[in-house]
Amino acid sequence: MYVKLVLKNARKSVKDYLIYIVTMTISVALFYSFLSISSRYYQPDIGTAYEFRILGDGMKMAICAVTLLLLFLIRYVNSYMLKQRQKEFAVQSIMGMEQKTIGMLFFAETFIMGLLAIAIGIAIGVFTSQFITAMLLTSYGKSYQIAWTLFPDTVFLTVAFFCCSFIVVGMFHIHSIRKLQVIDMLLADRENEPSLKKSLQMPVVIILFELFTCWMLVTGIRKYYFYYDSRFGMLVKIVFWGNMLLPAITLLVPMIWRLFVRRMSGGRIDGGGDGGPGFPILVIALLICAVFNAICACGVPFIIRRYYIVLNPESTDEYIIFVLANLLFIICAVIYLASRVLLAFKEMSPEHKYHGQNLFFWGQIISKLSTTNKTMTLISMTLALAVFLFMAAPVLVGWASGFLDVRAKYDVQIFTWYNQIYDEEKLPRGNYSIVSDFLAEHEIEAAYDRIFNLYLPQRTDFHKRVKWDFPAVAISLSDYNEIRKMLGYETISLAEDEFTTQWQSIATQEERNEYLQAHTAVETDAGELALSRQAYYTEAIGETVYNLYTDVLLVFPDEICKGLLPVMRNRYIMTKENITYAEASALQDIFYLEYPEEGDSGADLRMKTLQVNDTKANMFVLQAVMIYGGVVLMVICLTILSLQQLLDAGHYQYRFGVLRKLGVEEKDIGSLVLKQLGVWFGLPVTVAILAAIVIVAYFISSVSVEISAYIGFGTLMPQIFITAGILAMLLSCYFLSTWILFRRAICP
Amino acid sequence: MGTILQIEHIQKYYGNEGNITQAIKDISFSVKEGEFLAIMGASGSGKTTLLNCISTIDTVSAGHICLEGRDITEIKPKELARFRRENLGFVFQDFNLLDTLTISENIALALAINKVPAKDVEARVKEIAKKLNIGDILEKYPYQVSGGQKQRCACARAIINHPKLLLADEPTGALDSHSAQMLLSTMQKIHEQLGATILMVTHDAFTASYAGRILFLQDGELFTQLHKGSDSRRAFFEKILHVLTMIGGGESHVCEACS
Repeated sequence: MYVKLVLKNARKSVKDYLIYIVTMTISVALFYSFLSISSRYYQPDIGTAYEFRILGDGMKMAICAVTLLLLFLIRYVNSYMLKQRQKEFAVQSIMGMEQKTIGMLFFAETFIMGLLAIAIGIAIGVFTSQFITAMLLTSYGKSYQIAWTLFPDTVFLTVAFFCCSFIVVGMFHIHSIRKLQVIDMLLADRENEPSLKKSLQMPVVIILFELFTCWMLVTGIRKYYFYYDSRFGMLVKIVFWGNMLLPAITLLVPMIWRLFVRRMSGGRIDGGGDGGPGFPILVIALLICAVFNAICACGVPFIIRRYYIVLNPESTDEYIIFVLANLLFIICAVIYLASRVLLAFKEMSPEHKYHGQNLFFWGQIISKLSTTNKTMTLISMTLALAVFLFMAAPVLVGWASGFLDVRAKYDVQIFTWYNQIYDEEKLPRGNYSIVSDFLAEHEIEAAYDRIFNLYLPQRTDFHKRVKWDFPAVAISLSDYNEIRKMLGYETISLAEDEFTTQWQSIATQEERNEYLQAHTAVETDAGELALSRQAYYTEAIGETVYNLYTDVLLVFPDEICKGLLPVMRNRYIMTKENITYAEASALQDIFYLEYPEEGDSGADLRMKTLQVNDTKANMFVLQAVMIYGGVVLMVICLTILSLQQLLDAGHYQYRFGVLRKLGVEEKDIGSLVLKQLGVWFGLPVTVAILAAIVIVAYFISSVSVEISAYIGFGTLMPQIFITAGILAMLLSCYFLSTWILFRRAICP
Repeated sequence: MGTILQIEHIQKYYGNEGNITQAIKDISFSVKEGEFLAIMGASGSGKTTLLNCISTIDTVSAGHICLEGRDITEIKPKELARFRRENLGFVFQDFNLLDTLTISENIALALAINKVPAKDVEARVKEIAKKLNIGDILEKYPYQVSGGQKQRCACARAIINHPKLLLADEPTGALDSHSAQMLLSTMQKIHEQLGATILMVTHDAFTASYAGRILFLQDGELFTQLHKGSDSRRAFFEKILHVLTMIGGGESHVCEACS
């Protein structure tokens, strides 16, 4: 009998379960498609030069971690269903069914729906995993073909994960159904909006914010004490003073408020709880402070970059935290004030207030906002995080791949650092013959092979070991030209008493100009050299030809180099065919046996195959996790937003029914619904987008050097716009489906 | 005084072929301007269906309903909302107030929907509230006031646009006896002082005794009607009870059962 009841219920309430099934299906599809990459059976054609397994484990861990967030959503959607069905449970309970049985029935019902969702989700997942494969193969620079395959291990993992989640959540709900009183279930839908009891949310947020401000004040004072110089420019001074004075003012605001506003309102505010007549004034004052605080905190990394102000290295991180803390407070305050501002706006203009159905509209919005303050705030914050993840993913990935292009220039590069060596006798002199032996053994022919030294212009510089004092090293012209030939660049020429420079791509033009102006001539142990007419070259030639902490390589005539101290010994090889991943790993093992990483030889080996593999794998995991995390967070937020509206469909049916009886036309009701949903979705999305724009702008400007060096703003912007487009599409999908369901819910 | 509402042979069927319920069989009557008419009957007698048809919330299967000479069964569905807000006022058993608005806003909403200029709204709300004794609770929300106050607010909302006809469906149904009495005096006041035409559906004899004329329905047909005339309310109340006893059919049915 019960089985029949469950099946019947499930079939009957498919429509009620729509939002449940849709949410679960999206979750399953996302989970499956991202996880499919880590499947044992997944063998995309990325060539022998790449090893795919390194992706799998990182991916599996990351996906599972992000998916834990989905558990929260499953729980939320389940409670929504529970609320929907409460009245039915009450009737069953009155008829004498035990509450435990009712719980089991509900669990069975949701479980069936869940299984349905898993089935649909996996089907969709097979389809969407194609996009992931496309993303993967593009990041390995291969073209891709669609392949329809179902991976048994991924299917198993997906089914197991979601079934377990359903069971855990189901147990929780069986428990809560057992605890429910029949009368509460019976009257559940007759409940009014929850009464407006004093919420402690905002006071707590303010206390936390003030604590943060204390930290900010202390930091500001310390920065001023240790680093301030009266010769700084105006802007720098403003930032220094601002970061000290603004937090101080922010700390004073609550005291001033206590003294004046409370006295003015005749001491009617009690205990500092929410809802006192003067409380919003405090929030507004602090909101203004937070905005200025955030601007000043943003100024710190700006002055560090723009004016080369020296602060301790943690400063940037510290001030990122301050910016974030201020932003969070701004979001809390804006959402808290939103209903009050709307209320004030409504009262300000009777013209507007009594126009058409405005009265009804404001009533709907304000009552809903003031009872769902906390949810709204959380949703705005989460959405902002999601948007940030989406926007930051292409930046980070572009950065990593651009960096890879600069780094992985040679099939094999052996290089040394001399920072561990204090005795000239111990400087490397060998030819790294084990590498030649290995290549010969594996019949890998070299197209180019060059062993060369890097020299110190002056022997006395050998002992300069302070970070900012490291000398630039020099290379002989013939070695330099050979490297250029290897990489396909034109060779260069120099007169006997001339030198030129080669620059890392990360060095800015200003740095370069400054250096070149200061070094029109260079003193060496073998005589003085003048700067050549062609003073610099910027083609990327890898980063192992530069000394530590320097961005410049000097190019000297061969004769001069003979009289200098060689401190580094490198060997670059270009092979005729690709080295496979297995060969590369083997060579690396042999090399490290001879030249241990911990040893004092300072020699190290890099191979394009391994570098590309590691970077691409890490990059892909990073990108996939950021996008997956972003989608998951976004889906969670939007589902909750739309459920919040649909959950009250009962109330709304009644309210819109009253309007109909009062003679409001369907057309007007339609536009009212649209307006209401617009504000409901619009407010958190706008707040989140504004917050995300600030974070993204801060992020991009703090890595702008890297972006222009490795990606270029030209290629980045379209990517960011595409992402924004996808986000907008996701949002409009949710908006539309909520709108349709809402219209159906209020139908007479 | 002229006839404001004319009901001619209306019928109402529910259901589909093979399973038809006839809620209203054949009812005709008329209401004069400024009249306070009550409709009584047991559950299932068709009184709420009748009210719904008059209020254009439901449609009739046959017959005509004319308000001031205009046949409302002919009005196009698109124009119905406009017709309702311009001509009819409603008071419901469960108040139908919006819990998101204050009492004053609930009343003002009816004006706003009727596109009354914003500058007049507040004054009119205050005026009507004063008349119905709810002036001191205007800024409260529905959940903060008593049932009687809610229902008086609903009355205020219903009559603020001076409708041609005020329709009340069991207005005292959800009230305690004291609140019911206060509400009925209010309705009497509305009737006498504002000259409103009221059509009230109820199954409570005491409530009905405030009306000037009562129609009794039984199984979808007009059973009888009762005029108050010059009777005192008490005498009228006795008469109502008598008719109810007859309808309840008590005697004949009981006797049949006896024999």
